[in-house]
Amino acid sequence: MEQLAPIAIFLFVLFMLLGSGVWVGLALMGVAYVGMDLFTTRPAGDAMITKVWTTSSSWTLTALPLFIWMGEILYRTRLSEDMFRGLSPWMAKLPGGLVHTNIVGCTVFAAVSGSSAATLTTVGKMSIPELRKRDYPEKMVIGTLAGAATLGLMIPPSLTLIVYGVTINESITKLFMAGVFPGLVLAGMFMAYVAITSKLSKDFDPKPEPPMTFGERLANSRFLIPVICLILVVIGSMYLGFATATEAAAFGVIGAFLLAALQGSLNWDTFTESLMGAVRTSAMIALILAGAAFLSLSMGFTGLPRGLADLIASFELTRFELLMALLVFYIVLGCFLDGISSVVLTMAVVEPMIREAGIDIIWFGIFIVVVVEMAQITPPIGFNLFVLQGMTNHEMNFIARAAIPMFLIMVLMVFVLIWFPELATWLPENIRQRNG
Amino acid sequence: MKAIRKTLDALYLAGGIIAAVFLILILAIIVAQMLARWTGQVFPGATDYAGYCMAGASFFAFAYALNHGAHIRVSLFLSALGRHRRWGEVFCFAIGAIIATWVARYAIKGAYWSWKLNEKSQGLDATPIWIPQISMVAGTVLLAIAFWDHLIRLLVSGQHGMLNANRAE
Amino acid sequence: EKWDMPMAYAASNFHSEVGANFAKCVTDGTGGDLEIVTHPSGSLFSGNEIKRAVQTGQANIGERLLSAHQNENPLYGVDSIPFLVSSFDEHEKLWEIAGPKVGEVLHEDNLHYLYSVPWPPQGFYFRDPVQSVADMKGVKFRSYSTATARLAELTGMLPVQIEAAEISQAFATGVADSMISSGATGYDRKVWEHLGYFYEVDAWLPRNAVFVNLDAWNGLSDETKAVMNDCAAKAKAEGLQRSKDYTQFTLDGLKEGGMTVERASDTLVEELKVIGATMTDEWLAEAGEAGKAIVDAYKAGN
Ligand code: NA
Ligand code: NA
Repeated sequence: MEQLAPIAIFLFVLFMLLGSGVWVGLALMGVAYVGMDLFTTRPAGDAMITKVWTTSSSWTLTALPLFIWMGEILYRTRLSEDMFRGLSPWMAKLPGGLVHTNIVGCTVFAAVSGSSAATLTTVGKMSIPELRKRDYPEKMVIGTLAGAATLGLMIPPSLTLIVYGVTINESITKLFMAGVFPGLVLAGMFMAYVAITSKLSKDFDPKPEPPMTFGERLANSRFLIPVICLILVVIGSMYLGFATATEAAAFGVIGAFLLAALQGSLNWDTFTESLMGAVRTSAMIALILAGAAFLSLSMGFTGLPRGLADLIASFELTRFELLMALLVFYIVLGCFLDGISSVVLTMAVVEPMIREAGIDIIWFGIFIVVVVEMAQITPPIGFNLFVLQGMTNHEMNFIARAAIPMFLIMVLMVFVLIWFPELATWLPENIRQRNG
Repeated sequence: MKAIRKTLDALYLAGGIIAAVFLILILAIIVAQMLARWTGQVFPGATDYAGYCMAGASFFAFAYALNHGAHIRVSLFLSALGRHRRWGEVFCFAIGAIIATWVARYAIKGAYWSWKLNEKSQGLDATPIWIPQISMVAGTVLLAIAFWDHLIRLLVSGQHGMLNANRAE
Repeated sequence: EKWDMPMAYAASNFHSEVGANFAKCVTDGTGGDLEIVTHPSGSLFSGNEIKRAVQTGQANIGERLLSAHQNENPLYGVDSIPFLVSSFDEHEKLWEIAGPKVGEVLHEDNLHYLYSVPWPPQGFYFRDPVQSVADMKGVKFRSYSTATARLAELTGMLPVQIEAAEISQAFATGVADSMISSGATGYDRKVWEHLGYFYEVDAWLPRNAVFVNLDAWNGLSDETKAVMNDCAAKAKAEGLQRSKDYTQFTLDGLKEGGMTVERASDTLVEELKVIGATMTDEWLAEAGEAGKAIVDAYKAGN
C-alpha cells in the first residue's frame, strides 16, 4: 500500500465535505472527483455523467418512487391509524408495546419492497407519528425503524440479492428463498430486544392502551383488512406471477388510491400533496444514488476496495477467521459505500476466496446481505440514516446512536448464521422445483 | 429584482411539477405495459420509457427538493457553529454551487456528445439518447442556478431561501 | 501506464477469463510498461456504458456485446442475423468477412478493434415442449432487442421486455415462458428451476468485442502495438476454443439440471429457416450496400 498519501487525502476530503454539512449526494460527487483526480488520468466529468445518467434512468429504480408514493398516499389516509387500531390490541400486550408495530410493519412491507429505503419510508411515515403520539421513547422508535427497515433487503424481493446473484451467477430464486428464514429470525431478534429493553428502561413509559377483551381485539382487527388486502394485492401479484416488482409497486399506488377513495380521504389536496411529497423524497434519494454511483466508479479506478480484499486473501485464514475478516472489512467499507456498490466492487476478489474456503455461496449471499445491511445504519454514509434524517429532522448522530443496538443485533445475527447455516440453506435446498 | 425572484421561484416550482408529471407517467407506462401483456398486445420499449421518466422525475425535482430542504446533509457541525452558522452555510452553499455547476457543465457536454455520436438506446425503443437526456441537462442546470441563488441571497441578506433550514433538534 | 478495462460479465465467465489472460499477456509482454487491469461484472462501467466510455476516453479499453449497438449501426448486428449461420465454423467464416467491416465501423466511432470472441450458439428455451412454430403461438417470449422482438412477432410469440437482471424472476413468476439465448445463459442462471426444454437451433452466435480508444491506440509505441496484436490473436484463439468447450459443458449442465436438451424437430428447423430468410432480408434493407456485400460474399463462399 504505497498509495498511503492519496488515501489520506481521499479520506480527509470525504470527512470534510460530509462533516461540514454539504448535501450528501454532492459531497459524494466531490469526493469521487478527488479520487479520480488522484488515481487516474481519465476525464472525471465525462465519466461522472455517464454513471449519473445510467443510474438515474434505470428501469429497476422505478419501483422506488412508486413505493414511496404509495407510502405518501397511505400516510394521508386514515389507514395508518386503522393499522394501529388493528395491530395495537395484539401488540399492546407484548412487552415493548406498539414499538413492535415498527418491526412487524417492516417485516410485512419488506415482502413487497426490494429496498430498505422504500420500506423505511412507507412504514416510518405510518408509524412514527402514531408512536410519537403515544409517548414512546423517540430513540427506540427511530432505532427499531432504522434496523427493521433493513429487512427490506433480506426478505425477498431484494435488490441486493439480485445484484449478488447476477454477479456470482447463482440462482436468484434460491437466494430469495434463503433470505426468508434469516429475515424472520432477525425480525424476531429485534422484537426480543424491544421486549427486554422495555422492561429494563426507565424512559419506557408510553401512554397505556385501553384494555380489551379478545372479542374486541378480533373486532378491531377489521381495521387491518384494508392493509392486508393491499399487501395481498401487491405480494400476490408478484408471487402469482402476473407482475414484476415495479408492476407490483404500481398496483400498490393504485390500491392505495382506491382505499383512500373508499375512505373518502381522496381529494385534490391529498393527491397533489402525496405526489409532490413522493417527488421530493425520490429526488433526494436519486441525488444520493447518483453521487454513490460516481463514487463507486471512482473507487473502481482507485483499486482501493480490491487492494483491501487482496490483502485479506494474502493472510490465508481459516473459514471462521476469513468470515470475521470479511465482516470487519464490509463494515469498514460500508462506512463509505452503499451495500450494492460494496457487493459489486468486491465480489471479483471475494468470490474465489469464498469458493476456495468451501463456504456455501448461497449462504454467503445472506451473510453478505446482513453485513451490508449494517452499512445502511452506520455513519458517515448510511442510507437509512439519511432517509430517517429527512423524515424526522433529527440530527444524524442522534439517529446513528439510536441505531447502535440494532447494529449489534445484526452482528449477533451474523454469528447465528454461522452457527446455524441451515437457516439460510434449508429452504432453497428443499423447495419444490417447478420443472417441465 | 422582484421580477427575477418571481421568475426563479416559478422555475423551481415548474421543475417540481414537471417531475410530478413524469412520476405519473411512470405509473401510466407500467400499467399500460401490464394491460398490454394481459390482452396479448405489445408495448415495445416500455421499460426504457419508464427509465427515462424516472430520470425526468428525479432531475427536474432536484432544485425543487433543495428549496424544500428535502436533500439530506449532516448538519452536526453547522449546529455547533451557533451564531456563526451563517459562514458554515456560506461554505456549504459555495461548495454545493461549485459541484452542481460542474455536474451541469458535464451534463450539457454529455448530452451534446450523445447527439454528436448519434448514440441510440440499446433497447427496443431505439430512442436517440440525447432526447431523454434533456431532462438531465435542464434539471442539473436548474439545481446549479438554485445553489447560486441561495448563496447570493445568503451573502446579501443573511438568509438563504431554503425551507426547514433550521431543523428542530 | 495503467489502463482500466471494463467488462460486463461475471469474473468466472469465460469471456472475462480470456480478457484477464489478455490483460496479463499485455502487461507481461510490455514488461509492465502498459499494465491492463480488468474490471469484470460491470464493476467499473456496466455493459451498456462500456462502448460510450471507451469511445470518449473514460476508459482506454473495454469489452462489449457488439449486437447491443445495432440500433446505432445495423452492421453491429451482423453476428446476430437469425439462422444465417448454424455452427461455430460457419460463424467464423462469416466473421472473417464481416470482422474487418465491423472494425471500420468501430474506427468511425473512434474505436480500434482488437479481437472478439463468440458466445455459444443461441437456442430456444421453453417451459413446455415445442415441435413447430404453431406451438409457439401466444407464448410469452423474453425479448431484449429489436431483432428478438421481431423474431417473436414472426413466430406469433408475445414479446415481453425483460432486463438481464430480471430473467430468473421473470421465469419464476411466469412473466415470461421462453427466451432465446446460449446454453451458457441458461446454465449460469439455472433456468431448469423454471423451464423444461432447450432446443438447439443454433440461431446465431453473438460476439463480445474488445476495442481500444483510437487516440489511446495511436499514442502507443509500435512495440506495444505489436505486443497487443499478438496477445489479441492469442485471446481470439483461446476464446473460440473455450466457447466451443463451454457449449458442450453447459448443455450437459442443463441436462443434469433436469432439462430436456435436444435438436429442434425438422419441421421447426424448416419453419425457422423461412423466418430467418425474412429477417436476413429485413437486415439487408437496413444495412444497405455494406451489409449486402458481407452476406453475398459469405453465401458465395459456401
Ligand atoms: Na424485500
Ligand atoms: Na454505512
